[in-house]
Amino acid sequence: MDLNICISGAAGDGVKEAGELCGRLFAELGYNVFIYQEYQSIIRGGHNASVIRISDKKVHSHRRYYDLLICLEDYIYEIHSPYLKGDVIFDSKFSCDGFGIPMTEIVKEEHEPLIFRNAASIGALSAYFGIDFDTVEVMFRERFGEKAAGDIIIAKNAYEYYMRNYSPKMEVKRNGPKKKLVSGAVAIADGMIKAGLEYYYAYPMTPASPVLHYLVRKRGVVAYQPESEISAIAMTIGSAIAGKRSATGTSGGGFALMCESIGLAGIAEIPILIIEAQRSGPSTGIATYNGQEDLDFVLYPSHGEFPLIAASPYCIEDGFRMAGELLNLAWRYQTPAILLTDKHIVESMETASIDESSMKKQDIEITKRSEGLVKRYAVTESGVSDYAVPPAIVKFNSNEHDEFGLTTDDAEIRKMMHEKRMKKEKLIERDVADSAHHQFLKGQECIVTWGSTFSAVYEVAEELGYRVVVIRYFRPFIPPELKKAVVVECNYTGQLARMLREKAGVKVKSILKWDGRPFTPEELKERLG
Amino acid sequence: MIELLKKIEWCPGCGNFGILRAFNTTVEKLTDSGIERGKIMVVAGIGCHGKLPDYVELPSFHTIHGRVLPALTGIKLANPDLFPVGFSGDGDAMNEGLEHLLHSAKRNTDVTLFMHNNGVFGLTTGQFTATTPKGVKTRTTPYGNPEEPLNPSLIALVSGATFVARAYAGDMKQLSEIMYEAITHKGFSFVEILQPCVSFNNTWDYYRKNVKKIKTAKDFDDALRISMDKLNTGIIYRMNRETFEEAMMRTK
Repeated sequence: MDLNICISGAAGDGVKEAGELCGRLFAELGYNVFIYQEYQSIIRGGHNASVIRISDKKVHSHRRYYDLLICLEDYIYEIHSPYLKGDVIFDSKFSCDGFGIPMTEIVKEEHEPLIFRNAASIGALSAYFGIDFDTVEVMFRERFGEKAAGDIIIAKNAYEYYMRNYSPKMEVKRNGPKKKLVSGAVAIADGMIKAGLEYYYAYPMTPASPVLHYLVRKRGVVAYQPESEISAIAMTIGSAIAGKRSATGTSGGGFALMCESIGLAGIAEIPILIIEAQRSGPSTGIATYNGQEDLDFVLYPSHGEFPLIAASPYCIEDGFRMAGELLNLAWRYQTPAILLTDKHIVESMETASIDESSMKKQDIEITKRSEGLVKRYAVTESGVSDYAVPPAIVKFNSNEHDEFGLTTDDAEIRKMMHEKRMKKEKLIERDVADSAHHQFLKGQECIVTWGSTFSAVYEVAEELGYRVVVIRYFRPFIPPELKKAVVVECNYTGQLARMLREKAGVKVKSILKWDGRPFTPEELKERLG
Repeated sequence: MIELLKKIEWCPGCGNFGILRAFNTTVEKLTDSGIERGKIMVVAGIGCHGKLPDYVELPSFHTIHGRVLPALTGIKLANPDLFPVGFSGDGDAMNEGLEHLLHSAKRNTDVTLFMHNNGVFGLTTGQFTATTPKGVKTRTTPYGNPEEPLNPSLIALVSGATFVARAYAGDMKQLSEIMYEAITHKGFSFVEILQPCVSFNNTWDYYRKNVKKIKTAKDFDDALRISMDKLNTGIIYRMNRETFEEAMMRTK
C-alpha cells in the first residue's frame, strides 16, 4: 500500500492537527507514515495543507499527487485540484464532485466550534478507508485523553454519514504493531536531552519554535524565552560557564543576531549547541516555507578564526542522533557546534524508529574547586584544556588571554593560544571522520545531497538505481571520494555542489530548487531526466 | 596567587580605582560572612570597566559589549548557589544592550549590576554615550551632543528592579556598603556609580561639590522623585518579590 492524502483548509481550520490525527490513525494500524505540513504565515484564513503519506514500507517523503483530497473550503479546492489523482471528501457546505459530508452541520449540532470539522474529516476518511471505528476512537483517546469525547462524537457522526450514503473505497487492515509518530523538532530535542541538555533558551522563530514549545513542557530541562536571540545565546553561554549543558535554537534571521556570540564561545572555549532551522531567505523571506540556503552562512558565522562544528541531519531519526552527537562533541572540544536543519525536517512527522538508548551523555572532567586561579586554558598537546566552572576560580575571556584566562596582547602568547585552539580542529576531524557522510544503495552513478532533500532523493535513487551519498558534517568537511556526482539541494547557487567542486574536485551536475517547497520524488524524477 | 593577576592599566586618577577598592572591600565582607570566594562570579562587558576581571581573584567572564546581563542570567539559572555580579559601563548598559537591563529588571533576576557611569566612551577615546548631557562636545559630537541623556537609575526603577541605588566612585565607604546590600539583596539589584573619567570627562570637582546623600524612598513614587535628581546618591529603592529563578524552578 502506498497512499498520499492531502487535508486542506484555511488557517484556523485545524488542518495541521487533522494531518497529525490522520497520521496517528495509520501509525496505530502499524503503517509507516510521513507528514508534510504546508502553511502560510497567517493565523486565520489563507490556505493550509497537511500531506500524509502512508505506506507498508519505510517512507521519508510525501508525494506530489494525492490519492485522496479532503477539502474544507471551496477556494482551496482550486489550489489543489491539479495534484488530485483520486477522490475528494469535502464539507458539503459547498458543492464539488466527490464525497460530500455535512461537516459544518455535524459540528453545529454538537455545539462545537468550527475547528472541530477536522474531527469530522478524520471520521469521513476512516469510513472511506473502511477502518474500524474502534481504532479511530482509540487514536482520539490517546491523543486527547479525557477531552476526546467531543472529537469522537463528531468523528462518529461523520463516519456514520459516510457509511449511510457511500461505500468504503477499500478495507485498510492492520499492518503490524502500532508505530510511534515523531516530529523532527521532538527528535532533535530528545537527542539533546539524552546527551545531557539541561538548559534551552530560544526566541520564537519559525520553523525552530516547536523545539522550544516541546522543551518548556519537559521536566528536567529549564527552557526559557528571553527578550531576543542575542539574549538567548548569551544565556546559553552563561549556563555553560556555570557547568550545565545548554543550547539555543532559531532560524536564519535569529542566527544572524547570534553570530557575535558564536565567536565569543570560540575564543573563550565555551561549549554550546545552536540549532539553525532553515526557511526560505534572505531576510524575512517566506517565513513558513522550506529552504537550504544557509549552508555558506553557518560555516563561517563570526569574525576571526576558531574551531567550529557544523553538521546537518538528513532525516528525523538522524535529527535525534545528531543533536546528541553535537552536544557531546561541543563539550568534548569546548567549542560551539551548529545543528543546521530545515523546516521540512523540524515540522514534519514520521514513524521514525528512534532507539533512545543509543544516545548517552559523554561526561567530561570538570574542575569545580580550586586553590587560587585555575589554568583554564592550559596549553596541551591536543589543544583541549580541562574545563572548569565556579566555584573554582576560573576566568573565561572574550579577549585573547593567557593560560589563566587573563587578557593579553603579547605576540608570543597570542601565537600559542590561537594555535592551541585551532589544533582542536584536527581532533574533531578525526573524531567525526566515520560519520561525516553516509552512503546508501548501489549504483554506477551517484547522487549527493544533504538535509531533508535526502528523503526524495533516496526514494528516486531506489527506483532508478543510483547510489546516494548524504553529507552530514560540513565543518569539518570530509568529502566523499567521487569523480562526478549529481548534487540535489534546495537553493539557487548550489552551495554543497560548490563545496564538492572546490574542496574535492568532484565534477558536479546540480539539480536545484528554491521555491520554498521541498522536492517530491515525482518532481526529482522528472528533473533527473 | 594575587601576583598572577594583571597590573592595573587604568589612567592614574580614574574613578575605577575607587570602584575596584570598594568592591574588594565588599568581597572581603562577603567572604567573612561565610560566602565562598569562588561563588562570587564576576561578569564584565567591554570598556574601561571591562578590565576589572583581570584584577580580581574571583571566577570571571569578560564577555562582549552589552551582553553582561543575559550572561549573568544564564549563570544564575544554571547554578543558583552563585552570586553573579556584573560590571557594565554606560555604553555597555545604556547604549548597546539596553534591552537586557529592562528585561532583567522586569523578570527580577537575582543578580547584581554595577554600572560605571562616566558619561563617555573612554576606551575608544572619548565619544558620546547615552548618558552624556546635551550640548557636551565629544569626539563624535564636535558641535555639542544633540540628545538628552538617559537616567539609568530611573530606567531600572520603572522597569521593575527591586533594588536601585546610585553611588559615587569618590565615596568608597558609601559605595562599599551599597555594593554589599546589592549583592545580598534577593532579586535584581541595579547600582549606578557616578564615575569621573580623567581623560575624557573629568567630573571630579563637579561631583565632589554636588553629590547629595539621600535616605531610601518610603514608596515607589518617592523613589521616582529621588531618582530624577541625578546627583542623589544612596539606596533609592528596595522591595521584595518573587525572583525569576524562584518562579522558573517552581514549575520544574
